[in-house]
Amino acid sequence: MSDQILSFNQAIQGIAEFIEVAIHTILYVRQIYPADLFVRRKKYETPVFQSRHPALNEYISGAVKAIAEEMAHGNVDKVVVIIKDKQQIALERFIFSVQNLIPAESFNKDTSVEGAMTAASLAQYFRSFLIKLNMIEASLGQMELDDDASFAIVLELKDDAAPSVTDPRIPPPWIPADTQHTTPGTSEEAELHMIRSVNTGIVDLSLAVQESGEKIEREREKEKAAKLQRKEVAEGKKKD
Amino acid sequence: MTQPSQSNSSDYFDDHDSQFLEALQTIVLPGDLPNSNEGERIEVDEETVEPPPCAQPSLKRRLLDEDKDENNGPSEKRMKLSTQESNGTSDRKSTTPEPPPCTQAFIKRHRHIDGEEAFRERNLSLSQQIPNEDDTYAPTRFGEFGDYMRKKRAKLQIQNAQLAVLGGDDEGSQIFRGIAIYINGHTKPSVQDLRQLIVQHGGIFQPYLVKKALVTHIVTCSLTPAKVREFRYMKVVRPEWLVDSVAARELLPWRDYIFIHNERPEASQGVKTGQRTLFNAQTGPPRAHTASQSVRPMKTPSMLATHPPQTPIKSRANLVSTSTAGPSNIDRGNGKVDSNTPEPSSVPAAHPQIPAEPRSKSRSTSAVPPDPLYTTDPDSLEDASRVPAYAAYTSNPLAERVMANPGWRKAHTSIAPGYVEGFYKHSRLHHLSTWKSELRNLVQEAQEKAESGLGLQVGLDGNGGSLGKVRSEANATDADADVSMRRAELVVRSPSSRWKGKQKALDNQERVIMHCDFDCFFVSAGLVSRPHLKGKPVVVCHSQGRQGGGSSTSEIASASYEARSFGVRNGMSLHQARKLCPNIITIPYEFESYKQFSLQFYTVLMSHADDLQAVSVDEALIDVTSTVTQLRGRAFSGGSPVDPAKDFAESIRAQIRKATNCEVSIGIAHNIMLARLATRQAKPAGSFHLKPELVAEFMADLDIADLHGFGSSTKQKAQEKLGVTKLGELVKKSKDTLCEALGKGVGETLYNALRGVDNRKLESDKPRKSVSCDINYGIRFEKNEQVEAFVYQMASEIKKRLESIDMLGRSLTLKIMKRDPTAPVEAPKFMGHGACDLFNKQMPLLASGGRATRDDQIIGDHAWRLLKSFNFDPKELRGIGIQVTKLESTSEATNIPVGQKTLSFKKTNPSTSGPFFPESHVQVPNEKHILLETLEKQERHAEPSKASNMLELPPLSQVDKSVFEALPRDLREELEQAYKRRSASPFPVAVPLAVPAPMLTYKRPGPSTIFPQRFSSKETNVKRIARQLAPRKNHSRISTLKSLLSPKAKRKKPSVKISEAKLQEFGMDSEVFFMLPMKIQYEQLAMARIIKEKGFIPEVPSERRVLKPRKPAPVPEHLRWVAPAPKARYPEPPFLRRQGKKKTEKLYFTETDDIQSMLEKWMHAYHRWAPREKDVELLTTYLLKCVDNSIGGDSGVERAIAVMKWWLVLLRRYFPGSELEEEGEPDGIWTDRVGNAWWDSFRGTKKQMDIMARQRYGGKLSYK
Repeated sequence: MSDQILSFNQAIQGIAEFIEVAIHTILYVRQIYPADLFVRRKKYETPVFQSRHPALNEYISGAVKAIAEEMAHGNVDKVVVIIKDKQQIALERFIFSVQNLIPAESFNKDTSVEGAMTAASLAQYFRSFLIKLNMIEASLGQMELDDDASFAIVLELKDDAAPSVTDPRIPPPWIPADTQHTTPGTSEEAELHMIRSVNTGIVDLSLAVQESGEKIEREREKEKAAKLQRKEVAEGKKKD
Repeated sequence: MTQPSQSNSSDYFDDHDSQFLEALQTIVLPGDLPNSNEGERIEVDEETVEPPPCAQPSLKRRLLDEDKDENNGPSEKRMKLSTQESNGTSDRKSTTPEPPPCTQAFIKRHRHIDGEEAFRERNLSLSQQIPNEDDTYAPTRFGEFGDYMRKKRAKLQIQNAQLAVLGGDDEGSQIFRGIAIYINGHTKPSVQDLRQLIVQHGGIFQPYLVKKALVTHIVTCSLTPAKVREFRYMKVVRPEWLVDSVAARELLPWRDYIFIHNERPEASQGVKTGQRTLFNAQTGPPRAHTASQSVRPMKTPSMLATHPPQTPIKSRANLVSTSTAGPSNIDRGNGKVDSNTPEPSSVPAAHPQIPAEPRSKSRSTSAVPPDPLYTTDPDSLEDASRVPAYAAYTSNPLAERVMANPGWRKAHTSIAPGYVEGFYKHSRLHHLSTWKSELRNLVQEAQEKAESGLGLQVGLDGNGGSLGKVRSEANATDADADVSMRRAELVVRSPSSRWKGKQKALDNQERVIMHCDFDCFFVSAGLVSRPHLKGKPVVVCHSQGRQGGGSSTSEIASASYEARSFGVRNGMSLHQARKLCPNIITIPYEFESYKQFSLQFYTVLMSHADDLQAVSVDEALIDVTSTVTQLRGRAFSGGSPVDPAKDFAESIRAQIRKATNCEVSIGIAHNIMLARLATRQAKPAGSFHLKPELVAEFMADLDIADLHGFGSSTKQKAQEKLGVTKLGELVKKSKDTLCEALGKGVGETLYNALRGVDNRKLESDKPRKSVSCDINYGIRFEKNEQVEAFVYQMASEIKKRLESIDMLGRSLTLKIMKRDPTAPVEAPKFMGHGACDLFNKQMPLLASGGRATRDDQIIGDHAWRLLKSFNFDPKELRGIGIQVTKLESTSEATNIPVGQKTLSFKKTNPSTSGPFFPESHVQVPNEKHILLETLEKQERHAEPSKASNMLELPPLSQVDKSVFEALPRDLREELEQAYKRRSASPFPVAVPLAVPAPMLTYKRPGPSTIFPQRFSSKETNVKRIARQLAPRKNHSRISTLKSLLSPKAKRKKPSVKISEAKLQEFGMDSEVFFMLPMKIQYEQLAMARIIKEKGFIPEVPSERRVLKPRKPAPVPEHLRWVAPAPKARYPEPPFLRRQGKKKTEKLYFTETDDIQSMLEKWMHAYHRWAPREKDVELLTTYLLKCVDNSIGGDSGVERAIAVMKWWLVLLRRYFPGSELEEEGEPDGIWTDRVGNAWWDSFRGTKKQMDIMARQRYGGKLSYK
């Protein structure tokens, strides 16, 4: 990476690349797949974990490619990585919120954007994203999913935008998402942990984790059960 | 004498050596007196001097032993010895009566010290190369073994320095200064001598090639191949360079002495290709007759036998005849064989030797036998092996005999005075090539004329002789038999735009190209005047009648069809042809009639062609598309079934026959390649139209070598890699296969050619690329002077040719043919070149000012220099070629801006002793005076003062070249730069820093022969140089200067009216100013004004630019609107406003840290009270703004969360009890109202924020 000022295309590419790296990291951190599926690599001057499974990698890179295309059109609002259980209930949502700040049309997308961030400092930001992402586990509740976990990538477009179709013969890679997985479908109880955000001057990006209401509900129930158990144990002791 | 050394020598050793010294003292050395007297001993103790570095007593002991009897020890010790010896001589001179030293060790030490002293006193310039000698002579300690070599080298350098001191100081010659030489292997003169030469003349002799960077040149007489590779990028020279340089007292260019590997100087190393001869004998030409089979086994041994005696001969010309007679005698003794021996009876008489036959037979073998090649004088052994019955290794006996006769030699070989001219007068090839280029020129001229509308003379219909005129016909009868076509003129049929027709996108199939070719041109031309010979086997060659005997090596230029039926081919020697057809008839060359016929031929063609390419004197390609299309149209309407193209060709043939009485064959097709193929079919005396639909069929049977442009090498490759050479099979191969097998270019061309595709256009106006002169017949020299004279002869020939086409050249290539060491001295072809090694060298050909030239003297100089640099034995030369390329026409050349002018001054003898330019001393005070004055004044006015030095530079044209060139390189470059700048801006004051900074650090004196110790300081340096650059006869200038300086002179001169005060203001010396001519005064004033106004002189553009009004370029439609450059946008961060200390002052906070610290202050101030509603609202508004995506963006959310987290922390710190109230845990926890109020406000804010955040993310924010 150089200290060259980003162009629009570079910003989009950089962000897409980061999203790909981050997805791998999320899958590792949230233990969706066994840890030995991942290899440790270096990216943005920080260790990251990348899946070794070709099919998974293909899926992720395919999705990211589609995301990058949409981003280039300026349609994307959020990219959400959903961690869901067997019943397809989203437990955690990793939200990459994207905001295009300059209109996507009407300029050469390969020229440097005046006043924008440099590629080098963007990489540094991504590094801090990843470091915080690695630590997020501490502030999130346990999912205790064992082998049932899976994930999905949800693309939330801006209002009134539809996925662009590059080739009418090829069906678009996207399918409508489960309501519970989407932002409007999130229950009020869900809790959002902001991880990091960056303003590049071209596209702003933030990453947040949202624990879904369902997950929090489950945790509470579990806590209650535990409390009850403790009480019972305590009572039992009293009886003794 | 011992005093200084005492103090020094104590430094040599550390105390730990004392043991060794003690041991040394106690040791009784051979030759020592058992009880040496005490005094001496003490001296030894005091001195504690021990030069040799060996730390072991035993070693020391041995050294001394050897010292005594001077036998061969390890080299280091020997060196040491020689040092002592050389010192010893000077030592003895200087030492006064000393008691004879009683111990060897003592002497040794003593001398050594002396040497050192001497060395130190000199303080040689070499000192930087010589490491600290203290260190050098210190003993090698334990663990310092690696130092051994380093020290050794250093010691050798010290020794060298001493050598230099001894021998060289009387002359002070420093010609090898800055050169470090390594000598490799055995040399002549010996290494010792060379070393002395080098060292005495200021060079550095490197005995070891440890680091290549240390060595600038390598001197050698012979190198192993491995070393050749190793030294590939180094300057490897022959020892003569050193010797000659010393003799010439200057450093000669090393390039002229480059060591060229490939010669084997010692016969003991054997002949280069002992193996190859065997190989060649076996892969010799395939001759599938029984006769030749019996020949081969005989030949091989005889050839092998002849080799060894040949090698030692090569350097001795006078021995040639006798000793090489040996081999040929052997041949004869062997009886049959050799085709060159004059015994035709031994060879089966006329066997039909048709080359195609054995070829097809031997095809079955895996290796492809090379195609027979017909030439009498192949120039490589590979080619030679392809020539049937050509014995590459046998000497020509006739040639040997005549060569032995010096008189004959003088008259007939290249030594002869007018050889070059004579050669060209009789060279058939020369005529042919000249004619070709002349014909091309004629064609081109005719076309140009046609285009300009001058040549409109001939009707379109074109029947018969009135077509065009050959104006040269009158000239042809000239007695002086000028066979040049230069005076001829061709007339083009019509000035139509059809010349451009070739550019038109004609359908390829529509084009009609005719390939017109005389049938055995030379023969048929000769037969015109000898009608009685028609129908007989006739050949054209130099040799006439029976005079050459059966062994004539004269080459057959052309053979009639009757002769060809015997197997006679063009290029064979007459002798070979005789064997095939004993009653063959020879006729001589008739260049006159060839020329005439050729011109007539071209005239006819010209009158019919749209476009014409002159291929050679008897061959041309014409484009007749338009005529044929017309005819076709007519024929079509007439419903005639005949082919109009063929009809037209026949009519052309008829016309040519009528004009020349010779038969022409014409091949017709739609492109050049096919037309050539068609001609093969048309011959003899016919025409053939190869129609597009028949192409594939026609080509299937042909061989790859039949295609024009594909030779035997391509064929061989195809056979090796593809296994086929038939076009019909090749056509099935894919393009990639062909490209892979034959290379990309050839493969592609072949792929197209196989499909009958050829997109070449007729090259009627291809410009001439080069002019050359190659002579490789009769080149037999004895001395270098002869070669030199010959080269100059050739140069004048080239000049003639360049003049004839009115061109100048910029580059010169020299081609040398040198006898292959394995080839006999006399080539099988009489006076031919035989098997040769070929060498090429190229160099730019530059006349004065870097211009192109055609001056024969310059061409000769260049060529001779190149040839000299090869350093070949003149006797070995067999061919010399000079080629001048990068041609430009004279008119073109004059337009080219002249480069730097050559300084044309009388050469001075640089070695003149005494003061250099006595005259120049006279002017010193004057000029200096002026200079200083101007300097002062300018400095006062803060002008760039150094520039004034430039005032002294004489005009470039007057600079003495020899002095200029003798300047050290860096100095010269500076001056050149200064001149360049000066020529760019005529105002010297404006020249930025004429004497750049490097001058300040300049210390190295120039070559002492030129400027002996003249440079004392930088200031005088420049002045002196400038003066010396000035012409020597500048008395007049000085005197005028003087007179001008006097006030009288000042008034006389017309000058610009300007006050002295004004001049002062400009920083100009009025005195100097008024001395200048009017024009320059104006200029100077103008410049000074500009400087005053702008502070600098606007740069003069290096090229003169013509100012033109700029045309507004129309903006293309699609570029009308240019998008503005994208600009980054950042969301405006929300701020928290707070009142400052003063009432009016408002503080705005945006950063998270600031807000947090403010929050803390706020809470700290209010922690005893409930928060004020207004404050909470303020904060909440701020946070809400942050969370609001449309305002704060995601980073705002991040910030808000950070603030909230901090608030939470603070709350927990101040009011820990109140947090859990909401949870409804009333039991036992003390709650206070203040805390509750704070927590409530926090929760209220949180709720509002959650609502806001929900829009974007759903759910609520977590502050965990």
